[in-house]
Amino acid sequence: MDRKLIFDKPPTSYNNTDFFPPSLPKINNAEEIIPDKFLRKELPLPSLGELDVVRHYTNLSRLNFSVDANFYPLGSCTMKYNPKLNEDIAQKNEFLLLHPYQDEKYTQGALEVMYELNRILCEITGMNQFSFQPSAGAHGELTGMLMIKSFHSLNKEKRYKVIIPDSAHGTNPASSAMCGYETVVVKSTPSGLVDIDELRKKTDSTVAAMMLTNPNTLGLFEEQILDISEILHKKGALLYYDGANFNALMGIAKPSLMGFDVIHLNLHKTFSTPHGSGGPGAAAVGVTKKLCDFLPVPVVDKKGNKFYLKYDIKHTIGRVKSFYGNFLVILKAYIYLLRIGRKGIRRVAYNSVLNANYIKEKLKNHYIPASDKKCMHEVVFSCVKQKNRGASALDIAKRLIDFGIHPPTMYFPLIVKEALMVEPTETESKSTLDNFIKVMIEIDKEIDTNIERIKRAPSTTPVGRVNETKAARFPCLRWEKPGE
Amino acid sequence: MGEIKFTKTHEWARINNDIATAGITDHAQSELGDIVFVELPSVGDEVTQNSQCATVESTKAASEVYAPLSGKIDEINEELVNNPQLINESPFDKGWMFKIKIKDRTELDNLMDEATYKEFIEKESH
Amino acid sequence: MPYILNTPEDIEKMLKEIGLSSPEELFNHIPKETKIDDLSLIPERKSELEVSNTLNALAKRNKSINKLNSFLGAGLYDHYVPCALKHLVYRSEFYTSYTPYQPECSQGILQAIYEYQSFICLLTGMDVSNASMYDGATSLAEATSMSLRINKKNTIIVAKSVHPEYREVLDTYFKHSDYSIIEVPYNNDGLIDTNALETLLENNISCLIIQSPNFFGLIEDIHRVSTMIKDKNILLIEVTNPMSLALLKEPKQLGVDIVCGDGQPLGNNLCFGGPTFGFLATKKEYLRQMPGRIVGKTEDSEGNVAFCLTLQTREQHIRREKATSNICSNESLNAIAAAVYLALLGKEGFKNAALYSLNNTHYLIKRLKEIKEVNFPFKTLVFNEFAWRINGAREILKKLEEKNILAGVILDKFYPELKDCILSCCTEKKTKKEMDDFVDTLKEIIHG
Repeated sequence: MDRKLIFDKPPTSYNNTDFFPPSLPKINNAEEIIPDKFLRKELPLPSLGELDVVRHYTNLSRLNFSVDANFYPLGSCTMKYNPKLNEDIAQKNEFLLLHPYQDEKYTQGALEVMYELNRILCEITGMNQFSFQPSAGAHGELTGMLMIKSFHSLNKEKRYKVIIPDSAHGTNPASSAMCGYETVVVKSTPSGLVDIDELRKKTDSTVAAMMLTNPNTLGLFEEQILDISEILHKKGALLYYDGANFNALMGIAKPSLMGFDVIHLNLHKTFSTPHGSGGPGAAAVGVTKKLCDFLPVPVVDKKGNKFYLKYDIKHTIGRVKSFYGNFLVILKAYIYLLRIGRKGIRRVAYNSVLNANYIKEKLKNHYIPASDKKCMHEVVFSCVKQKNRGASALDIAKRLIDFGIHPPTMYFPLIVKEALMVEPTETESKSTLDNFIKVMIEIDKEIDTNIERIKRAPSTTPVGRVNETKAARFPCLRWEKPGE
Repeated sequence: MGEIKFTKTHEWARINNDIATAGITDHAQSELGDIVFVELPSVGDEVTQNSQCATVESTKAASEVYAPLSGKIDEINEELVNNPQLINESPFDKGWMFKIKIKDRTELDNLMDEATYKEFIEKESH
Repeated sequence: MPYILNTPEDIEKMLKEIGLSSPEELFNHIPKETKIDDLSLIPERKSELEVSNTLNALAKRNKSINKLNSFLGAGLYDHYVPCALKHLVYRSEFYTSYTPYQPECSQGILQAIYEYQSFICLLTGMDVSNASMYDGATSLAEATSMSLRINKKNTIIVAKSVHPEYREVLDTYFKHSDYSIIEVPYNNDGLIDTNALETLLENNISCLIIQSPNFFGLIEDIHRVSTMIKDKNILLIEVTNPMSLALLKEPKQLGVDIVCGDGQPLGNNLCFGGPTFGFLATKKEYLRQMPGRIVGKTEDSEGNVAFCLTLQTREQHIRREKATSNICSNESLNAIAAAVYLALLGKEGFKNAALYSLNNTHYLIKRLKEIKEVNFPFKTLVFNEFAWRINGAREILKKLEEKNILAGVILDKFYPELKDCILSCCTEKKTKKEMDDFVDTLKEIIHG
C-alpha cells in the first residue's frame, strides 16, 4: 500500500488557480505592494491535482477504525452513533457562513439554538444557566475551577486545595493545577467508591472544591453522594461535577439534586456529536444560582422575543475562548435532543447501563470485574488473570483489532491493575455485544492454545505494533525536505 | 567500589569518600519500561535529601527522581542525553545519573542497605 | 426509538441474564432524592422530517454572509473552501473516530495529522508543531504558559494591537496567578510602540506577545522587535494569520520563538465562531514544553513506516497535575481540514488566495481614498484588512446595512479611543463589483 506522504508525491498540477477567479483585471505581485524584507522567498507546498489529493485522503481514511464501521467500546469516551441528521443540518450555509460579529438581527436563528439548548440542559440537570464557550471537557473543567476560584476570592476566603479521587481522569488534576490549586488525592475503597472517612478527614476550610465524576471512572454510582456533598458544603467548599459519564444518568437523576454546584457536560460524548479523530468537542458548563454571576461572557438571553448576547455578568471570569463557543457542535447537540425527545433521553440511560451490565454478566467468569458492585454505563475489567498466563491488557486490546473491534480504554483508571474499560453505549445492538463477548472469550482461550498470535497482534492491520519507544527517543515530528 | 545504599523511592547511592554516585535501581527501571528521556540537574545545583532533582520518562510514564542525599551536584552523566536506554541496560553502572558532593554524612542513616531494600521491594509488591 | 437498536425482546433477554425484570431496577441503588420524576418541560421527540423542518425555520432566521456583501474580518475570514474538502474531511472514517491512541488501527488519522504538523512547520519555518489547540486565543494562552515554564520569569508583555478577545482570554487564564500582564500601546502608525516597549524591557519579562498582521491589519516589523529583546532571555511569541504566511516571511526567520494563532482561514468556515482550531509551533529546543498532542513517525517491527502519538509524558493522562496543559480533546478534524485545504490548493492556489486578498484590500483602500470624508488613522501596509475613519461611522454602517452591505467592525467597541473607525476586510472571494458597490453606495450615503 502506498504510504507516501503528501509531500513526497511528484507534482501533478501547476497553477491551481481555477478554484476562484482573479477579482481584478490586474493582479499585482506581492513585491509591488509590500517591501521585500517582509516577504518570504519560497513556499514549499505540494502541487497536486485534485484526483491525487482525493485519493491520498480517501486511502488514508480507509486505514482507520471508526464508529460507523467498527464497534468502538472506548470507555469514558461514549462513542455512540453520530446521527447523520445532525451532520446535514450543520452543513447549511445559514449556519456555516455566519460571522460572529454580524449584528444580532442576522443571527437570531443561531442564538435561538443556543438559548433553547440551554433551557433543555437546565431542565435535564437542574442547573440554572449554562455557558457553551468551552471547547472540550478539560476546557470546561478549567472554566468551572476558575469560577470556583473567583467565588472564593470574592468572599475573601483563602482556599488553595482541590480534592480529587484517585480514580479521576488526568484532566481533573491538570485543570486544577492550571488554576494554581494544590491537588489532594482521596483514596477509593476496595469496592471502588470514594472513601468517605478519608474525605471527611481531608476536607477543611482550606479546600476550595472537590471534583467528582459520577458514575465514577470505574462505572460505579457514588451511592453516598449526598454525604459527600454535605461534607464539602459544611466546610464552605464547592462540588464540581465532571459530566464525562452523564450518559448513564441522563433523564434518571439530576446533578443539582446530588448537590453539585457547577457541572460540565461533554457534548461530544453524551450528546452524540462526532469525535472527529480527536476533536472538535464542546463542553456545556452549568451552574446553580450560587455561581451564575461568575459565568464566562457572553451568554445568550432573551428580551421579549429577541435573542441577544449578554455581556453584563456581574463577576464574570471573562472569556475562556474567542467568540461564543463551538457553535456547530452546540447545534448538533440541540438537534439530537429534539430528535430523541423526553422519553429518548431516559432510554439512552436505560440501554447504555443495560448493555454494560450485560457485558459484565457474560464476561465476569473470564475477566475479573474491577468491582463487585453493579456497574452503570461502563464496566472495568482487570486482566490480571490473563497477565499471569502471559497476556497483558495491552496484548488483549491489540488482538481485538484483528477481529475488527476497536480496543476498550486500557490502563485506566490507574487504581485497577491491567484495566480494560468497556463502554458499549446505548446505540449498539445485542448481536454486536454478543459478538464482542464471544471474541473476548475466544481470546482468553487463545492464551493457552496459541499465545503467539496474541503477542504478535494485530496482524491484520496495515502496520503491526508500532515502536513507540523509538518515536519518543528519536522524535521525528514533521516532514523535512530532502537535504535539510 | 564504595558501599551502596538505597532509598524508599528506588534510588541508589554509591559512596566514595565525600562523593555519592546516584541513579535509579533495577526495580525502578523495569517498572518504567523503555526509558526515552532523562532530565538531569545542572552541575552546581544544591539538592536536598528526598527532594526531586531529576526526571526519567518512558513512553507511558514519567517518574520523579529524588536526591538520596543532600549536597551539591558535582557531575552529571551526559551520555544519558543521547543514550537514555543505558539506565535500562545498566542501571547501577553505565546508567548512573549524577554525583553529589555529600553535605551531611549522618543522612546515610536514613538509607537502606541492599538486604533491607530487597525486603522492601518484596513487601511493596504485595 | 431512533438510534437505539435493542428490541423489546433483546431487552427482555438481557435483563433475564442479569437477573432483573425491568431497566428501572438498574438504578435502584441511586438515592431517590436525586431522581427526576418530571421531565415534561422537555419536548416530545420529533421525527427526522419534523426536526429538519424546525431547523429549517431557525436557519431562515439567520442571514449568512453569502446573502450579504460582507467586509467583516477581525479574526475570522471568509475564504473559498474547495468542494472536494468536505467530501474528504467528512468521510466517516475521519469524523466518527476518536483520538488515535491505538496506532495500528488509526494510521490514516495519524498520517493526516503528521502532515498537518508538517504544513504548519513549512508555513512558519518552525521545527515542531502540535496537533492543534482549541482556537487562536487559547493557543496564545498556552504559548504564554509555555514561556513561563521555560524561563521561569513572571511578567508578560502583550501588544495592545493583539486581537482584543485574545487579550481577554489571556487575562482570564492568568488573572488569579502570580504572573503580571503589561500592555504596550500602539503608536500613531498603528504599530507596536517601540519607544514604550524599550522602557518596559527589564529583568523579569518572560515573553513579549505581538500580532502580525495585527488587529488593524498592519504588518509589524517583527525582526526589529526581536533584535530589541535579543540576549535578554525574553521569548518572542507571535500571533499570526496563517493565510498571510503564503506571502510573508516565516516567523522563525524573524526571530520568533513560539508562533500561534487561529487556523480558521485554512479550509474552515466561519461557523458563527466555532469550531475553528488553534495552531502552535516552536523551535526544537522548546519541544518538551509544548502542550497538546504530537504525532511522530516511527516504524513497526517489520520496518514498515508507522505513525503514533508521542512524547505523551507531557500530557495530562500521564503527568496529571504536572502536565504542560490539561488539554485532551483538541480540534483534530479542523486541523485535518486545514491540511486538506493546503493540499488541494497547493503552492500556487494558496499563494493566489493570499495574493488576491491582498490586491482586493489595497484596491478597496485606493477607492475609499477617492472620498474626502474618509481618512485613515494608520498607515496602510496591510495584508487583508485595514482601519478607516468617517464621521458618524455608526450611522453610516446602519445605512450601508440597509443596502445589504456589512462594511466592517466598528472599532470603538474594542478601542474607545478609535472613535468612528471601522475595520474592513477583503478576501479573494470579494468581486470587483462588490467592492465598487460598497464605495459607490457609501458615496451616495454621504452626498445623498
